[in-house]
Amino acid sequence: MGSLLQQLDLEMGELVDSASRSIVQVRNSGGGAGAGSVWHSDGLIITNAHVVHGDNPTVVLSDGREFPASVVARSEAQDIAALSIDAQGLTSMPIGNSLDVAAGQWVMAIGHPWGMVNAATAGVIIGLESESPNSEDPSKQWLAVNLPLRPGNSGGPLIDAEGRLIGINTMMNGPDVGMAVPVHEIKRFLDREVKAVKATV
Amino acid sequence: MAEILSKLSNDISSIVESAGKGIVRVEARQRMPATGIVWYDDGVIVTSHHIVEQDENIIVGLPDGSTTSAVLVGRDPFTDVAVLRADLSGLKATPWAASDGVKVGNLALALGRPGKSVRATMGMVNVVGESWRTPAGGPVDSYIQTEVTMYPGFSGGPLVDSAGAVLGMNTSGLLRGSVATIPVETLERVVASILEHGKVRKAYLGVGTQPVRLQSAASAGVEQETGLLIISVEASGPADEGGLLQGDTIVSLDGEPVRQVDDLLSLLSSDRVGKSVDVAVVRGGTPAKISVTLGERE
Repeated sequence: MGSLLQQLDLEMGELVDSASRSIVQVRNSGGGAGAGSVWHSDGLIITNAHVVHGDNPTVVLSDGREFPASVVARSEAQDIAALSIDAQGLTSMPIGNSLDVAAGQWVMAIGHPWGMVNAATAGVIIGLESESPNSEDPSKQWLAVNLPLRPGNSGGPLIDAEGRLIGINTMMNGPDVGMAVPVHEIKRFLDREVKAVKATV
Repeated sequence: MAEILSKLSNDISSIVESAGKGIVRVEARQRMPATGIVWYDDGVIVTSHHIVEQDENIIVGLPDGSTTSAVLVGRDPFTDVAVLRADLSGLKATPWAASDGVKVGNLALALGRPGKSVRATMGMVNVVGESWRTPAGGPVDSYIQTEVTMYPGFSGGPLVDSAGAVLGMNTSGLLRGSVATIPVETLERVVASILEHGKVRKAYLGVGTQPVRLQSAASAGVEQETGLLIISVEASGPADEGGLLQGDTIVSLDGEPVRQVDDLLSLLSSDRVGKSVDVAVVRGGTPAKISVTLGERE
């Protein structure tokens, strides 16, 4: 039985290593920082809107390179922001599906809690929660997860057992329950907002 | 890539899915609904007493999304258990785990259905201990402490083991700020009593007592240091009828030692209602045995 636990440890370590290559730090000129994920190799970064203050945040890649970023789109209501940096060939995060998540499914949150870079915490999905109990509107849903999120986790990825991005860690609901913006909501946001930006350029 | 982890993750979600088929939503208060466990196939549901704030118009939400009405069979506030009955045609009771099956270090899941879908949190079993008494005074057969989080509406839902079998019912209504799990053994006892009597019966002696040190213990031939001094006797109560007197010190009941009030409360159990028991006392420094027919506490 010991070997099974060791193998589990090994696998979790590999998941963190692999995901860390796609996790960035988002820093504001006036202070305040959070995490973000590389959505696209050409420099598109996804984070929480509440992590980004102002229009000129700095993005620090996992290899230590720093880039000035521009805010491509943001939605305070959904707490999502899309940033762009002038970089190519980045390692993007594999994108998962948050519409078919199941209660009890294993997940991990990686971010920079209290400034500790790429710290991980694991738990399970409690459920996909709608803002109103009877609403099935997928754009108004949260992933409730049984793991602790701390300042600095915001904007960072929630990944599944395959290392795929299924949400953006956003806030706590009580002492033990983390809330993440599900990735299907981010896809819809990008479809809507980023296409609109491209069209106006 | 992560082979074991993916398998584990899938295992956990399938346990939740299968155990979730025996878990219902209980709407019996103004605030958020909570959870109930299908206990018997014939429609008996176990839930938490404190979430059932109304005795009537109770609605149960089923896994298929439909709802049905339920009646309150009875409650035991001492262990925070309520029993409901509803027409659950087709719903199977969730299997129970063996009472000695849980070990420290095992993983356990808390399940709830405050909304349409089943929800889950997971944690390690931290402590498996002896019997205990709730702050309200209910006897509980064993102590299970876990790291599971009680998400809003999880009260009345089960703690399940890695096979999806029920270890007990979780409630946040007994211990302030933490989860209490009422084990299956206790639930079986409480549910049986509620189904038969509408409540958990307690035997009644009709005395007021205070623990005292037995100064002449050795000379009285009693092998314990404390007993319960009777400071009042209810007129025409069971103790009075049996001949117990103010000033007697109770040292045992039905052959079981009585050292403090908790001992006596435990011994005044439902199975002793109406039973004639020997009460051993120290009366004026000498041991005496009095036969008392216990009543039922109202």
